[in-house]
Amino acid sequence: MTEKVNFTFGQERLVTRMASPVFQIRDLHVKVENKEIVRGLSLEIKGGEIHAIMGPNGTGKSTLASALMGHPAYEITGGSVTLDGENVLEMSVDERARAGMFLAMQYPAEVSGVSNANFLRTALNSRLGEGNEVPVLKFHRQLQQKMKELNIDPTFAERYLNEGFSGGEKKRNEILQMAMLNPRLAILDEIDSGLDIDALRIVADAVNSLRSPEIGFLIITHYQRLLQHIVPDHVHVMMQGRIVRSGGRELAEKLEQNGYDWLKQELGIEDETVGAEA
Amino acid sequence: MTTEQTPISTTSSLITDLVHRFNEPAWLRERREAAFAKYEEMPTPKLEKTDLRRRSFDIGPFASLTAGGSARVRALLDSLKDKAFVFIRDGVAVQSNIPDTIHQQGVVLSSLHAAVSSHGSLVEKHLGSVVTAEESKWAALNAAFWNDGAFLYVPRNVKLEETVTFVYESSAQGHGAAVRSLLVAEEGAECAYTEVFLTDGELESGKVHADVLEVVAGARASVKIAASTEYRKGPTNFTIRRAKLASDAKVDWVYCDIGDGFTVGLLESDLVGTGSTSTLSGIGIGFGRQHFELTASMLHRGRYSESDISMHGAIRERANSIYRTSTHIFRHAAGAGSEQRDRMLMLDGTARADAIPMLLIDENDVQRCGHAASVGRLDENQLYYLQSRGIPEKQARRMIIWGYLEPTLEAFPDEVVREFVRQHIDEELV
Repeated sequence: MTEKVNFTFGQERLVTRMASPVFQIRDLHVKVENKEIVRGLSLEIKGGEIHAIMGPNGTGKSTLASALMGHPAYEITGGSVTLDGENVLEMSVDERARAGMFLAMQYPAEVSGVSNANFLRTALNSRLGEGNEVPVLKFHRQLQQKMKELNIDPTFAERYLNEGFSGGEKKRNEILQMAMLNPRLAILDEIDSGLDIDALRIVADAVNSLRSPEIGFLIITHYQRLLQHIVPDHVHVMMQGRIVRSGGRELAEKLEQNGYDWLKQELGIEDETVGAEA
Repeated sequence: MTTEQTPISTTSSLITDLVHRFNEPAWLRERREAAFAKYEEMPTPKLEKTDLRRRSFDIGPFASLTAGGSARVRALLDSLKDKAFVFIRDGVAVQSNIPDTIHQQGVVLSSLHAAVSSHGSLVEKHLGSVVTAEESKWAALNAAFWNDGAFLYVPRNVKLEETVTFVYESSAQGHGAAVRSLLVAEEGAECAYTEVFLTDGELESGKVHADVLEVVAGARASVKIAASTEYRKGPTNFTIRRAKLASDAKVDWVYCDIGDGFTVGLLESDLVGTGSTSTLSGIGIGFGRQHFELTASMLHRGRYSESDISMHGAIRERANSIYRTSTHIFRHAAGAGSEQRDRMLMLDGTARADAIPMLLIDENDVQRCGHAASVGRLDENQLYYLQSRGIPEKQARRMIIWGYLEPTLEAFPDEVVREFVRQHIDEELV
């Protein structure tokens, strides 16, 4: 199925967005199991911007994503992260989400016995805050509409969260959550892995339709393929746990055509993975 | 009502009291006395995981009527008021609602004592046919001293639409009143029975609460049994719930215990008939200093008999839970199949859990026999995932635990009891 997907949010938007966000990462250092993986990374993302982080395997991209969201296995050893001036690093995982951060995960967890719909409604209500809960019918109408747009089988609403979902279904489910929760900063961690070309287009359309001054995107990917559908404003290359080169969309194209070797040569890097230089 | 404690050695007088109070027939008196003799000659059982040496086997004196019931039980009975129910407090039937429609088609529903009077030969035939007085010290104790319990008889090919509920409440004044219930589903009969055990206040330590449920499932009969218990600290709780299945009979168990008691329990299906099937789903919520040893057992004697066991424990504080899932496929039970799943969730580092799968297979021709057992903590990745969508940690923990328990709870056939149990679990998931 390759029918054109038309995203309309219009009056059905459930989370009211605020002014244009500013997300700042300054000299961030992250350790995992006592090994420093992110080593002095700085980045600023404003509302309306799409930033892409590219780079080969093992350069710290997914670690960055998980650390920004607050995964307990990742230890921040230096630097700062703020959203609209608020210190993100002092917030718990759920506080970050309620402040407007969203991470579409590479390997989302499966939770047995918790239906997709119940999970999403609880998440949405947590985001809206007590007293502002979304009415059940309105929620389900919105959910069904979004599922249709993402070409997700309507029965998924009552299925247990990600349980028995294929890789592609899990990814679309992540995007469904993003569309429902309307974040201010969305991080997509290798959302393209495991997606066929049709699913990739559906996901890209969903991201494009959300694009507005009220949301910033950080897209982490190996391949330029996704960036043909979601055109980034800024492209960053990550090696050895930091950003080694930034540019416009043409940088992604150049990497697609020539690979990473030319860049490694220019920078004098022999092995781009974290820790290899030690 | 006397309040002084009667030592067990003199309790043959308890039998006389019961016989007089309920005007029991001679056959029952003889059975009680024989069971008491068995009880006296049997040594205290030795269990691998439970030390019984310092537990007293004292019981009685039995009260005639202690009170109308706690506010909690009143609320439950109120929500059951349009359904068929019997309420027994401290061994005494206090209140019942048995619609006349139930007795059409020859169904008998009453307290066991009432059935002894009204349908003596039926009771005489089946009582003790599934759980005998000889099998253990506490089975003998129950057979000697049972106070009252449920009796449900569903005749051949009769389908009882309504779920029948028996509610029991124990208080310290009951001194360990023993519940005994008997369900008989004749050939092709269908019924659903629920029992709810509650406690009112702290119970006496040093007493024994011994409960027995016997289920006779005739050929092609289909029986659903739900039991909700809250064995609390104080007494020693012994419980045996067993069904005996004829050919092509089906018995589905769902069980939930929420408590901090000292409990040794057995849930068992004796799959005697060819093609008989049984499922057993259980939830255990343990807290405090609970000691809970529960055996879920399937005895495959019949050819092509099939069973499924699925246990879910969630324990916190200093609770110690032992969940044994046991499948015994006897010789000549060709084509039998069985599956067991036993999962324990430890919510606190101080809780202790044992999941013990047992497979005893004496027959070569078995179609399937699987088991899975695990003891673990709440999955950090699940927690992180839910939190990453804005759900606060406490709520996320509850959602995950509920997700783990919910499918079992759904198996409770009666929605009133299901919601009652749901609320009780929710209160105990701190």
